Amino acid sequence: MELKRLLQFWETFPEVSMEERPVLSSDLEKIVVKNPLSDAFYVRKKLLLRIAVIALLWLVNSWQLRGQWKTNGSDLYVTAALFLLLSFSLYFHTRLVFFADYPTLLALPLVDFLTKLEAILDKYIISFKLISAMAGFYLLKGIEALLYAFSRNAYDSVSSNDWYKWLILIFLSVSSDILLLHTLVPRYRRLQASVTKYRDGILAKATDK
Amino acid sequence: MNNSSHKRGCEPDLRSLLKNQHKVVYSICRFFAHNYQEHQRLFVNIIAAASQNIRSRKDHSADKQTLLLRACINMAALHSISLDMAPAQDRTIQFKSTDYHQSMTKFRESMGEISDLEKFRLFMQLERVAPGDMSGITGLDAGNLYARRRKERETTQGRTLIPYLKATLLWN
Repeated sequence: MELKRLLQFWETFPEVSMEERPVLSSDLEKIVVKNPLSDAFYVRKKLLLRIAVIALLWLVNSWQLRGQWKTNGSDLYVTAALFLLLSFSLYFHTRLVFFADYPTLLALPLVDFLTKLEAILDKYIISFKLISAMAGFYLLKGIEALLYAFSRNAYDSVSSNDWYKWLILIFLSVSSDILLLHTLVPRYRRLQASVTKYRDGILAKATDK
Repeated sequence: MNNSSHKRGCEPDLRSLLKNQHKVVYSICRFFAHNYQEHQRLFVNIIAAASQNIRSRKDHSADKQTLLLRACINMAALHSISLDMAPAQDRTIQFKSTDYHQSMTKFRESMGEISDLEKFRLFMQLERVAPGDMSGITGLDAGNLYARRRKERETTQGRTLIPYLKATLLWN
């Protein structure tokens, strides 16, 4: 159908029936306070929650590091490594919140919007690596606590040997990463792939013309 | 999902703009919604996006009309992506009002199987958006450049470390 005919048809297009019409006027105020992005596209709340938890862990860890430093404790290197990891995670997540800038995200032109959405999802997927590494440290602490409670000899041999500790730490981190890769990450990967495919499709069509 | 609890509702001028322009939102729904539920969800999301865009605009580089059109197009794109990801959806036109249902069916038949980009372009033409303003809404001029730049980056990435580091450190 030519544009002219379509335009004519467009002008006479009937209104949606009152029964099917979305709420307007009086309910408009209720509509505008809702975030338009769906859960999968909107990771701000999850990021803020993570920042709060990491900040809390960072404070606790700083206090522990201070104690280890003063007494030259056996966990000094592990605590220092965790401190660095928490500091970087805090920076990474905060940077992602500012980068995403959700209030202005939807005001971007389509291609820029899709590109940014893709970048946000990409960084969010990367952030799971940091979570895995942190999980490794805290699971190690948990294992040490369990050994301390149930088998003092095993605890002594683990805590006195740094090699054991680091190997267990690496094993736990990699295991957590694999677990996340098979549980939480695929959902975001699928979403990111869909956004990329959609944007590339639009660009390909635009380039063709 | 309430991300603006400090500002409940919206300013009177924004509300009146959305009331006056709500037909534009209906228009984009005609291209992308297949039934009443989709129509209502898309409408509500676009209104929310438009009000968020207009309320939080930092500079006055884009006018309210452009921001409304960007909200329409961006939300329609997300709607389309979500539909593609959903398992086997019923894509037949289903509206209770016979008149509206017939018009929608006729409209879709006459439009045929066109890509989303063509739908956006058609929507802007039917809404009488000036051709010069279209690239500001879809960002396609910048997009073409981006695609070319990306291809260049991909070809050089394998050879040097600097583009890889740049891409990792600079988020854009």
